[in-house]
Amino acid sequence: MGISRDSRHKRRKTGGRMPIHQKKRAFEKARQPAMTKIGHKRVHVVRCRGGNMKYRALRLDVGNFVWTSENLASKSRVLWVVYNATNNELVRTNTLTKNTIVEIDATPFKALYSKKYGVDLGKVKKDKEETEQKKEQSEKAKKVWEDKKKKWEELSKNLYIDPLVKEEFKVGRLLACISSRPGQSGRADGYVLEGPELEFYKKKIEKKSKQ
Amino acid sequence: MADVQTERAFQKQEIVSLRTKKFLTKKTSTGVRYWKNVGLGFKTPKSASEGAYIDKKCPFTGNVSIRGRILRGMVVSTKMKNTVVIRRNYLHYIPKYSRFEKRHTNISAHCSPAFDTIKEGDIVTIGQCRPLSKTVRFNVLKVQPNQIFGAARKQFVLF
Repeated sequence: MGISRDSRHKRRKTGGRMPIHQKKRAFEKARQPAMTKIGHKRVHVVRCRGGNMKYRALRLDVGNFVWTSENLASKSRVLWVVYNATNNELVRTNTLTKNTIVEIDATPFKALYSKKYGVDLGKVKKDKEETEQKKEQSEKAKKVWEDKKKKWEELSKNLYIDPLVKEEFKVGRLLACISSRPGQSGRADGYVLEGPELEFYKKKIEKKSKQ
Repeated sequence: MADVQTERAFQKQEIVSLRTKKFLTKKTSTGVRYWKNVGLGFKTPKSASEGAYIDKKCPFTGNVSIRGRILRGMVVSTKMKNTVVIRRNYLHYIPKYSRFEKRHTNISAHCSPAFDTIKEGDIVTIGQCRPLSKTVRFNVLKVQPNQIFGAARKQFVLF
């Protein structure tokens, strides 16, 4: 390809040129960037130095995202890129890289949260329907349901959810940050933004949308 | 707290998790901070443990370890962002004339925001760490303020 990662083409600290006395070596070679887009999964395997494999993701649509404060993790669909601190072009072209802020589908997290706490985020009506359904079940299932309810009551004493995140659930989309390197590992995994980080990025996005 | 976030990406210490229930419910203005003792008898400055700056290359609050050489020199330039140029003077012996000649080396060292009062002429102790940039392999560990008369480059001080 011609891309190399040598330091021979750079100048010295003093400003003087480095004499190029040898050709480019194989151990200095670099490859084209992945520029992972959003779409049906397409991952190429690359054989690297030492026989090791790198999984170059060219297109990804899902990732494993973790909701840290609730200790919940789920595979969720990546919808679109919202912010990238490095380059606005990457936002326009919906490119996934490490530390990209994306919007993800909130439904898996809604389900996990209701399973853990018995609280439905976003809608109130569903709760009543569910309790009616449970009443019709067999005795065994009833007992399980009662146990769950007890557990939920206990947990509900320490319930806290970031107000900004709660709002996001109403829309059905969460803001998340990619923490894996899609061009290296072939995955777009990350964490749901919360607290000060969420406030920071929300401000940045609003500022951009105003412009 | 807000002045820390000057970059386009959210500045944070990687080790500290700001997404725990404990931190979110408290919502204290002080926040959680990671700082460490670099070892080798160097005291961690108060501004490192109590400050709010985020610097991943700081030896006290970042992800660098000090190992290898520990050197002393005089600060010659503070014009770079978060790095200083240090000058180390030494005498080189010429056997033919049984005399010495003056020589010097310039070293670029990363200077943590903990030492924000550093200026030209200060005597500084630097410790070797992993390469932080093209020319920086050292980190400032201790600053001894010093007043000099004239240019820092013209002083010949041996340590």
